[in-house]
Amino acid sequence: MSPGVDIRGLRKSYGARRVFDGFSLSVEPGQFVALLGPSGAGKTTLLRCIARLTDPDGGEIFAAGHPMHLLHGRALRQARCDIGFVFQQFNLVRRRSAVGNVLAGGLAATPLWRVVTGRYGEADRRSALAALDRVGLKDYAAQRADRLSGGQQQRVAIARALVQKSRVLLADEPVASLDPDAAESILSLLRDIVREHRLTVLCSLHQPLLAHRFADTTCLLEGPGPRLPSQGFAIDAVDATAAPSAP
Amino acid sequence: MPPDRTAHGSAARFVAVLIVVGAFYVLCFYFAEIDLRRLWQGLPRLGQWALRAWPPNFADLSTLLVRAAETVAMATLGTTLGAVIAVPLCLMAARNIAPSAVLRLPARWLLNILRGIDSFVFALLFVAAVGLGPFAGVLGVGVHAAGSIAKLWAENIETVEPGPIEAAVMTGAGRLKVVIYALLPDVLPSLTSIALYIWEFNVRASTVLGIVGAGGIGQELKSAIDLLDFSRVFAILLIILVMVTIIDQVSASVRARLT
Repeated sequence: MSPGVDIRGLRKSYGARRVFDGFSLSVEPGQFVALLGPSGAGKTTLLRCIARLTDPDGGEIFAAGHPMHLLHGRALRQARCDIGFVFQQFNLVRRRSAVGNVLAGGLAATPLWRVVTGRYGEADRRSALAALDRVGLKDYAAQRADRLSGGQQQRVAIARALVQKSRVLLADEPVASLDPDAAESILSLLRDIVREHRLTVLCSLHQPLLAHRFADTTCLLEGPGPRLPSQGFAIDAVDATAAPSAP
Repeated sequence: MPPDRTAHGSAARFVAVLIVVGAFYVLCFYFAEIDLRRLWQGLPRLGQWALRAWPPNFADLSTLLVRAAETVAMATLGTTLGAVIAVPLCLMAARNIAPSAVLRLPARWLLNILRGIDSFVFALLFVAAVGLGPFAGVLGVGVHAAGSIAKLWAENIETVEPGPIEAAVMTGAGRLKVVIYALLPDVLPSLTSIALYIWEFNVRASTVLGIVGAGGIGQELKSAIDLLDFSRVFAILLIILVMVTIIDQVSASVRARLT
């Protein structure tokens, strides 16, 4: 199984609203794919189905070599270790420090007593600080997460994914809550890190211009909403068949 | 015309509600055996007692203070016991983190049963089981408090934002680690505040537990009333008032600092 992302015949409905009906997408390892499409097209649903934060109704999902659609319990948790997730709202633990949030990347391997007491091992601490350094936040390590700006919080979230050593990174509108400058710098950081670590990335964006600049390829989800206006440059779809409009 | 009809309909409904509420009150008066004549006849007696209660009799103060300490100890240990029982109960009952509905519903039932029966009633049962004294009070307070605390904690946990929990789930960590890492820092201040509030409440509730033989200042209160020793009753009420006020102030100031 390839360590990229492979989706075959994904089906997902919310009540009567069909979001995916036989959706397929194949992402080669090491690729940065931007998911584009109007809101309601299923970008978030797709990413959440891959991570199994949402359960798909049917179809096959392979991510980092794991058959995500088949996994439960411990096996699912182990598979998730290989999959980083960056959220639109950053989702840091507000009362923990920046480095405390980055340390979560190693949570699965950390003994419970260390989680309870907050006494993390020297090696974990060092790798968390190194990750913070990589995203340019070394001086903010002790700062509480909710005292950081949005862009800084998203950097912490990326550092968390770095510490996790995930092979696939899913990013759900990582820059939608940020101002344009912060959005640019977050995306270029993401692109650089992805190249350094040869990660496979699926990243939903709602701005085609950003997608075009930072992603290797783009995938357009059409969904039931209005079609995207033409942007004057080609959007190369990657073996993608989006869901038909809801009946 | 439609507007008229709605106005008419709502007026009719208002009258109907008024009649139902009125009938309910009439029934309540009947069952409660309200008799103002008896109150009128009893008032002079109360007045006489009040006169006789002055000055408060603080003789044997050390016994009263020991009893007051018993009351605070019962409430404190009972609340602590309740909080310990509430930890697994609220984790099973909170909708957003419960492992499954199979566990969640029985957990809900259990905490509603515990909450639905007053600590006074539980204390009565425990006096029969473990004998007279404050230990029965601790158990009674604890079992009831477990239900109250677990319910309030679960409701509080349910209001938490799901994002940080999902982020922790995506690290591949197990449920317990996710709860301790991502949920606890977020909710700990409000959970502590809730436990303190229940503690405050339990100190007040524990003042009457002595009446069923579960120790504390209530025991002195009951014997003083039985002996019609009103200056002693007055002294006991003053001690209760001071004790409850101090506890409320301490608890309130700690809670103010938490949030």
